[in-house]
Amino acid sequence: MEKEMIAMLLAGGQGSRLYALTEKLAKPAVPFGGKYRIIDFPLSNCVNSGIDTVGILTQYQPLVLNEYIGNGQPWDLDRLYGGVHVLPPYQKSSGSDWYKGTANAICQNISFIERYHPQYVIILSGDQICKQDYSDFLRFHKEKNAEFSVAVMEVPWEEAPRFGLMVTDEDDRITEFQEKPKNPKSNLASMGIYIFNWDILRRYLLEDDDDPNSENDFGNNIIPNLLRDGRDMYAYHFDGYWKDVGTIHSLWEANMEVLDPENSGINLFDNDWKIYSRNSGMPGHYISPHAQVKDSMITDGCKVHGTVTHSILFAGVTVEEGAIVEDAVIMGQTTIRSGAVVRHCIVAENVVIESDAIVGAMPADGEEGVATIASDVVIGRGAKIGPNAMVRKNVKEGEEEW
Amino acid sequence: MVSAHVNALGVIFPNSYDSLVPELVTDRSMASIPFASRYRMIDFPLSSMVNAGIDNVSIVVRKNYHSLMDHLGNGREWDLTRKNGGLNIVPPFASKAAKMYHGRIEALYSILSFLRSQKEEYVIMSDANVASTIDFKDLIQYHIDTGADVTIAYADRPLSEDTLTNDDPNRDMYYTLELDGQRITDLRIMPRDLGVQHLSMNIYVVSRKLLIAQIEDAYAKGYVYYERDVLLPHIRDWNVQGYAFSGYIALIHSMRSYFDENMRLLDEANAEALFAEPVYTKIRDDTPTRYTNGSIASNAMVADGCVIEGTIENCILFRGVKVEKGAVVRNCILMQGTVVGQNAQMEYIITDKNVTISARQFLKGSASFPVYINKGKVV
Repeated sequence: MEKEMIAMLLAGGQGSRLYALTEKLAKPAVPFGGKYRIIDFPLSNCVNSGIDTVGILTQYQPLVLNEYIGNGQPWDLDRLYGGVHVLPPYQKSSGSDWYKGTANAICQNISFIERYHPQYVIILSGDQICKQDYSDFLRFHKEKNAEFSVAVMEVPWEEAPRFGLMVTDEDDRITEFQEKPKNPKSNLASMGIYIFNWDILRRYLLEDDDDPNSENDFGNNIIPNLLRDGRDMYAYHFDGYWKDVGTIHSLWEANMEVLDPENSGINLFDNDWKIYSRNSGMPGHYISPHAQVKDSMITDGCKVHGTVTHSILFAGVTVEEGAIVEDAVIMGQTTIRSGAVVRHCIVAENVVIESDAIVGAMPADGEEGVATIASDVVIGRGAKIGPNAMVRKNVKEGEEEW
Repeated sequence: MVSAHVNALGVIFPNSYDSLVPELVTDRSMASIPFASRYRMIDFPLSSMVNAGIDNVSIVVRKNYHSLMDHLGNGREWDLTRKNGGLNIVPPFASKAAKMYHGRIEALYSILSFLRSQKEEYVIMSDANVASTIDFKDLIQYHIDTGADVTIAYADRPLSEDTLTNDDPNRDMYYTLELDGQRITDLRIMPRDLGVQHLSMNIYVVSRKLLIAQIEDAYAKGYVYYERDVLLPHIRDWNVQGYAFSGYIALIHSMRSYFDENMRLLDEANAEALFAEPVYTKIRDDTPTRYTNGSIASNAMVADGCVIEGTIENCILFRGVKVEKGAVVRNCILMQGTVVGQNAQMEYIITDKNVTISARQFLKGSASFPVYINKGKVV
């Protein structure tokens, strides 16, 4: 039996610029938006687009991600034929290799892809917040009779030099690829989402694998090789919400944008394109008579006695009476004790912020510091954490960290 | 075989006490009545069984069971999709002699051949009108340690006013126990005594073999009620033990008690007691609940997927409820999918699923008589 299109999801990235948040887990497993993890977005997009076979390429800190994906049931990806499979690097009779690059990760799993005899393979990135209908992308790919298509976003010209850019003709055919150029000829940034005809992808993966000088990377090697050979390559324009949450600030900002679906373009409340996730199984949250909650998202299992403004509380967060939480992202099971003030920051899972501690501060002009507390950390009573701090270890009572 | 689990199978009767809350069960059973912001009543006994390691549970349904089947599905959320045992929903068997069962005896008779073919030593039976934190492992150990023939769990509490004043001749019966030590010496049917009683929770432990024998005998004699017709005649020659349960318990026996038992969970200590062990339920994949800029919330238990733009105070909100701008909702229970329009005002109202309250409506019940609005209704 053949599948028309299967997805390969690159989830091996360390996300090193998320620092303390990705010390114990891979970037795609980072919690997002109250009850999700980043990888829920591409996985849900797959299911909502009708893709029922997904290979997840993992490498860095795969434990949390493996457990989270499990048999794929929360995404309806527990299938008899297909479904979701986590694909770590493995040992072969000829020795074992880590995934050397994005293309190499796919190349080492050619036999997985071939089990499903797909016509098309979509390559996805596990570290973007985006709601996208891949079936519309495939329709474009087929209409253009393309061998390779890439999803692109128009970005402001002044930001274009930060991206991989696709130069196209009036028919959206790609004529040139510029990787982070000084003088951009285009403002169409690659989203790192590709559709390949499988026979073409297979041929170029094997060719690339034989090249000892290759970095085995889609952007640096595969796409230039396709261009060299004049393949039928097209750029698919996507104009919805898309965010690479690769930095602390962009992760914080994307969370804040979830609070403003009317203006930000990221609407999680849309029942026609649900984002699925593994459920916490906790009872409804409780808002006490002393609490003040405004402009926030609160998840099952939370207990709110303090003041919560413009913030996201993940499942099972406790905010005690007299505590203040503002412009903050508070991940699951964290406790904020009475009198603590927590502002403009990201606090990871299972953190305890003791009484009267101060974490982060509202930014002064031109600053964008987002204080960050790693998971399982205890911030002692009366301790002070500065707006640019990156806290990985317990902070003792009354101490300061900047 | 390695086993940290109890050697028992579970049987739940989802329709018992339907007669006490006729409005809530017009198109569902007692077991599928929504409770505590995101659960159904059956989630509590079912989760208690699963938490005790029971992985073979039969639900003997009588009528109005579509909502219950929809809720339970294949039992995956309770970890009951098992090759052996698992969740076993037994609808009435349509044969020539088909009739809806009345008492437990007919219900159990309908699964007799199933019971005969099982391997577990004991059977735990429970109704679905009671949400508690009972530890079935401990209950069975008690049953074994006392060498009981039958063990009945009970709670010491006074009979409620609703119970004492309900004169409906068709109402489901309740029982209190008379004890000598922990040995039950009498089973009293619908007494009207004031003060604290040993009120039966209608949770029973009995060995599977004895239960089969009891049911075969009772059915042949045309008996209907397990308590009245099987236990009571033998109460002195069998060792029938009372198991005192002193943990948290929510008992639904009237619309008023439904309202009160929900509201009681706004006391955090009560909610913590009831949810000390995990309670499993159907997953709906809701978003977190959103409180917009003008919202005011105070003393409320709110499930995921709600949007609060107005004011909520002393409320239980189920999943996907919307309270629009300027609306004021006080002392209300709003079930899944209720929409309260702009500037509407509500007090002491229970809305069933998918009720819409139009803008600027004013609705008021009272603490002793909360007003109930039918499923799907537009007010």
